[in-house]
Amino acid sequence: MRVGVVGAGTMGTGIAFVCARRGHHVLLMDQNEGILERAKSDLQEMLERERQKDRITPQEQEQIEQSIEYVQELDVMAGQEIVIEAVSEEIDLKKRIFQQLAAICSESTLLLTNTSSLSITEIAAGCLHEERILGFHFFNPAPVMPLVEVVRGMKSSGTNIQRAVQFAKDLGKIPVVVENTPGFIVNRIARPYYNEALKILEERVTTFDQIDQIMTKAGGFKMGPFALQDLIGIDINLATTQTVYTNFFQEDRFRPSRIQQQMVEAGRLGRKSGEGFYDYHK
Amino acid sequence: MTITNKRVLLAGISPLYQELQVLFGQHGYHVLSLEQLTQENDPVDYVVEVTNYDLAEKKRIIQQIDQSLRKQQRSVPILTTSLAITATEVASWTSMPQCVCGFGTLVPLSERQLIELAPALQTDEAIIEQARVLIHSLSKETTVVDDEVGLVFPRVLALIVNEAVFALMEGIATKEDIDVAMKKGTNYPYGPLEWADLVGLDEIYAIIRGLHQNLGEDRYRPAPLLRKMVLAGRLGKRSKHGFYPYSE
Repeated sequence: MRVGVVGAGTMGTGIAFVCARRGHHVLLMDQNEGILERAKSDLQEMLERERQKDRITPQEQEQIEQSIEYVQELDVMAGQEIVIEAVSEEIDLKKRIFQQLAAICSESTLLLTNTSSLSITEIAAGCLHEERILGFHFFNPAPVMPLVEVVRGMKSSGTNIQRAVQFAKDLGKIPVVVENTPGFIVNRIARPYYNEALKILEERVTTFDQIDQIMTKAGGFKMGPFALQDLIGIDINLATTQTVYTNFFQEDRFRPSRIQQQMVEAGRLGRKSGEGFYDYHK
Repeated sequence: MTITNKRVLLAGISPLYQELQVLFGQHGYHVLSLEQLTQENDPVDYVVEVTNYDLAEKKRIIQQIDQSLRKQQRSVPILTTSLAITATEVASWTSMPQCVCGFGTLVPLSERQLIELAPALQTDEAIIEQARVLIHSLSKETTVVDDEVGLVFPRVLALIVNEAVFALMEGIATKEDIDVAMKKGTNYPYGPLEWADLVGLDEIYAIIRGLHQNLGEDRYRPAPLLRKMVLAGRLGKRSKHGFYPYSE
């Protein structure tokens, strides 16, 4: 299939890899030439690793590399059968992109947004043929995480939901279907794992490292909530919580934590800044 | 397997009861029921009480234990689950609050490498140490946390389940998709709904209700569907019916 990916950041690059790896012809688009260059070298590196691990032959590696085109204009998406948007989480930017895509692509083109937190209904509103605009939420890192949330906007049609579900399966992913609600399934139901752990810390029931130990050893979770926040990025985690909280109109269950806020203020964002709840300088 | 001549009084109503009975037995303890204690009058070395859902019944059991133990003339550690109520409150029901120590865990115990202890405000240091020794003798690690309803793991899990039940009630996805999403999107060992079936919906509900009553915050409001399922006797795997059906 001819697949378009809009936005060549980490998620867009990962999604392009997943599609190309399954034999789709991919147009990877980003206005920023530097980002596009980096995406190209990242993709080549990912494919090289696949070959080294004998998951693909050198011939397949070459074929896949040639099946990815790097473009800077959105207009070239006109001929694609499926377009996946993975730009930064800015509602106005996404709305603009979908208005344009809906105008240039054929009405049967499936238009998918990889948003993790914005409303599909809002992104699609006013676009031509809103029924083919859906959420298609990959998890980071996209080549590794098996789940895709297929999100039904208010006007998304059942047929197109089925097409998206089938497309996810063809990509070797596990699709789940969810209504357009804040945080969809995962980012909503995972909230208490962080929020309640933070509340317990705030109440000084015990320390953060003890909480991590309890959740892994008593609960069987792979990573404790604080080690996981450090991995995700405390700023990213707080932003997700704030979005879900705002979109549920300040439902108390999703209230962000002062501790997280202060960590972000202090620039202690987790592994990426060298220090979060744990110190990574050592 | 350790051989010990220690005697444990095991009391209360919870899926934990059967599993603890087996676990104590495997580690060489002589396990007595509350009826046996009142009949035999022989001293016991430990008391473990596990009721969570019916707190009036928990109070009745604890006070009955308290009366029986008063005859023993020595202090026996009373470990009581503080999943739905604080250990401090349970201790306040007894004539020897210094002997009461909270603990919290959920079935299946085979999956628990660690069990949390939560001393009441009144608990003696020596009792905490004895409680620790008891749990260690069952080949489980311990960690001591402050006395708040639900401790740490049961509290966090209960709230994840509660959120999943709200999502299910609101029809945002099927129960299967909710469970698959949490396992595949964020690596949980179980989906929250199948996990609740395994632990017992009554246990999960008791924790959330306890948090709501003790902390008085709206974030602990139990999902109405969860309460209804408990009232309907759909307690999960052990009642053959929870979020999923289970055949005999």
